[in-house]
Amino acid sequence: MNPLDLLPGKIEELVHELSVLPYNDMHATGPVTEPFVLTNYVVWGIVSLVVVIALFVAVANREKKQMRLALETGEATALAPAGRLAGVMEAGVEFIRDMATDVIGEKDGPKYVPLLGTFFFMIVLSNFIGLIPGGKAWGGAFGGAVALAGISWIVFVFVGFAKNGAFGYLRSLVPSGVREMALPARIGLGGFIFLLEFVSTFLVRPLTLSVRLFANLYAGHVILGVFAAFVSLFFPFVESQLGWSAGGVGVGAVSLVFLVLMYAFELFVAFIQAYVFTILTAVYIQSSVHASEH
Amino acid sequence: MEGSIVEALAGLSSIGKGLAYGLAAIGPGIGIGIVGGKALEAMARQPEMAGQIQTTMFIAIAFTEALALLGFVLTFLI
Repeated sequence: MNPLDLLPGKIEELVHELSVLPYNDMHATGPVTEPFVLTNYVVWGIVSLVVVIALFVAVANREKKQMRLALETGEATALAPAGRLAGVMEAGVEFIRDMATDVIGEKDGPKYVPLLGTFFFMIVLSNFIGLIPGGKAWGGAFGGAVALAGISWIVFVFVGFAKNGAFGYLRSLVPSGVREMALPARIGLGGFIFLLEFVSTFLVRPLTLSVRLFANLYAGHVILGVFAAFVSLFFPFVESQLGWSAGGVGVGAVSLVFLVLMYAFELFVAFIQAYVFTILTAVYIQSSVHASEH
Repeated sequence: MEGSIVEALAGLSSIGKGLAYGLAAIGPGIGIGIVGGKALEAMARQPEMAGQIQTTMFIAIAFTEALALLGFVLTFLI
């Protein structure tokens, strides 16, 4: 039997596997449409949130305990990380803090470290969970990515209005050079730029933020799935009852190598996408905080 | 006769979907190449600025990539 005949069925199975299903009914037909259903993505998203919270609470408690102990005994270990895990987490928090102060500024940056840190650690952990067979990445469902981008959108719009006032924030969408032009140019060019900037700030930003995360993860999962399907279809005696043939073993072996390589690449993408999401949120907040300066 | 027209239209719409994303990816592809290459050049000239250049590079890539992502969304809307 030609293994390629089985491929469309495999792809269908793969798409079904990646769709949003009730967590206790993996064989449900089609994705969930009604609201308030506990789906597989929601369950794994909650798992990744709980793990992040548990890690941070545990490490923070250990650090506090060590600090108290060091202050009592007068030893100089007060500022050292409490163990190997705490060292890693401290490096991560420092990474986020440096990002916030670099992008948003020395004065306003530290206020947003908790938000950016939650985004980064939650997304990176949930992306890694999505790479474990059976696990689901929160951003791998479009709704999940939209929810994350929505939080980011609410924050930067709120900060923009709170820091500059409703009129000031909307006015800052037009560059100051255009605002100082003669009247006809100010209305014509200014109106045009305002429209462009309005769409790109309030509509395109959240759209690209969510689509970037979703598309990268979904495409990655599909690529891994297709290579895995090729391996299981072409290796003799696994699924297609192909029997021994040099071509089958060759294609299977090449697919296996590519599967492993792509898996490594997806580990990198999982980190990069969390980083890009976080740094873009920081950039958007920065443009809201300093809106009146440009 | 009518059935074949419907089939042809479905086929054409699939071609359109492919073209929408394919064409939308050309510009950003070139753009990201330029961003990455220039960032590499800058980092080679001034290795001590590598961290800051990398941050800016990712931001620039994200903005360039937005155009390709709009094409990606358009593919599903057609």
